[in-house]
Amino acid sequence: MESRDIVKAKLAEWGLSPSDADLDELAPAYETMLRWNKIVSDMLDSRPMTPGMEFPTSEPILIHDIARYR
Amino acid sequence: MISNPKQLAHAPITEVADLIKKKETSPVEVVDLILSRISELDSTINAYIHVFEDESRAAAKAAEAEIASGSYRGPLHGIPISIKDIYESGPTTCGSSSLVGYVAAEDCQSVANLKRAGAIVVGKAGTYEFAYGAPTLETHFPPTRNAWNQEFECGGSSSGTGGSIAAGLAYAGMGSCTGGSIRWPAQCCGHVGLKATYGRVSRRGVYPLSWSLDHTGPLARTVADAGHMLRGCAGYDPLDQASANVPVTDFNAKLGRDIKGMKIGLLRTIYEDNYEPGVKSAFDPAVQVFEKLGAEIVDIPTINLRQLIAIEFPNMWADAAAIHHRNLRTGGGDKYGRHTRGYMLWGLLMDSTAYLNSLRARAQVRDQLLDALTTQVDALLLPTVGFQTPRVLESDPGLGFLGGEFSFYTPIFNFTGLPAVSVPCGFDQDHMPVGLQIAGKPFDEATMLQVAYAYEQATEWHTMHPDI
Repeated sequence: MESRDIVKAKLAEWGLSPSDADLDELAPAYETMLRWNKIVSDMLDSRPMTPGMEFPTSEPILIHDIARYR
Repeated sequence: MISNPKQLAHAPITEVADLIKKKETSPVEVVDLILSRISELDSTINAYIHVFEDESRAAAKAAEAEIASGSYRGPLHGIPISIKDIYESGPTTCGSSSLVGYVAAEDCQSVANLKRAGAIVVGKAGTYEFAYGAPTLETHFPPTRNAWNQEFECGGSSSGTGGSIAAGLAYAGMGSCTGGSIRWPAQCCGHVGLKATYGRVSRRGVYPLSWSLDHTGPLARTVADAGHMLRGCAGYDPLDQASANVPVTDFNAKLGRDIKGMKIGLLRTIYEDNYEPGVKSAFDPAVQVFEKLGAEIVDIPTINLRQLIAIEFPNMWADAAAIHHRNLRTGGGDKYGRHTRGYMLWGLLMDSTAYLNSLRARAQVRDQLLDALTTQVDALLLPTVGFQTPRVLESDPGLGFLGGEFSFYTPIFNFTGLPAVSVPCGFDQDHMPVGLQIAGKPFDEATMLQVAYAYEQATEWHTMHPDI
């Protein structure tokens, strides 16, 4: 499926109908986002377990916990 | 030495407060001066969306009477400030035609704190729409023009706050910062932008852009002024879920102490292959100033720019989409600018796994920087942003505006929550200001400001202001 169609389908899930002009901008923006997602995925810390398996060694940041680092 | 009204309008808070305390000027005179300048200049600068003329004159009279009676509240007493128009306080538009006519029932917490400290809010300052969509010559609210050169913008999204200070239309003000919207306009306008530790200043009553990235805080002319403003607005707020229950101390307590022997970590991996010549020519000599002051410069390897952008922006846009998507469906969003709406639609495309991965990456970078700040260095240093101040936009820049290799370095301290401050460090070839940012340990803003103040006082950038 092309990016344009994916964008249209994803926004339809939210009850939104993008115009053709919206899609002209959102399709390349969506592809940029996929590249960013890959960059982030590649930088995540883990340790190996068995071949092809890993244990994630970082957890999502919590927004309320920074005071513990004082 | 202040000898004329223009000098008084561009003076730092510390000097004006001294005059007020000694009764050599009064809050009424100072507020009258600022209001007359707004009346004269703001039709071209566009710093303000709403001016509290009657209210600020009344507050000035009350402050004058209180000070005359011997009740001086401190350095903000009687000082005119601006507030970004996403803070609830009187008419509040968030820079959007969709909210024209809305009037907040009460002041948000940080503004209430500032008023309690004696500050006088003269107006609501312009902002990117919802701290997000860039204003252009085609949008409902026009861009704030930069007093250093009115063909240039003030940075964003706290553009009106930055512009009001640069033009001498306020002595300081409040901005908000999700990816750099306090430090970037501070750089563009040639003054100080202070984003304290996440949780230090209440966000309650400030329209959100991203719950986990949003910070509120001051822009001001000098490091000392920024410290006074932070003390005025900070404080635990049990009704803000992210508010940290930590004491508000004197953030200026370490100003004037030397930095000899301190270690300062350069985050070269973020900027050294992408900062523009106009930024490089100001920033590189600034690093040498720290060395001349006796600090040791240490390289701290960290993420690169591509990783920084890849973590920040999808996170921010997904949050913004969660905040605004109902408005897009129920009609309010029909009035959003095209740029704003485009980013919100973009955020809806983020999937949950990718979102959680970005939160994991944030934790990793936070831990890496905390480790450096605990074991290797006293502060971190890099340019505020790597690109020069842009010109005022004539039309919608489209979604590619932030989509490429955009040398925006400030978000690293939003998504890690560390305190950071931008300080002027020179001018580019367009004679527009350039800034550097210093970051420190969580809730140790005083040490960070000590480093910033040492640099500031060793240079003359903070003494310069636009001739307006």
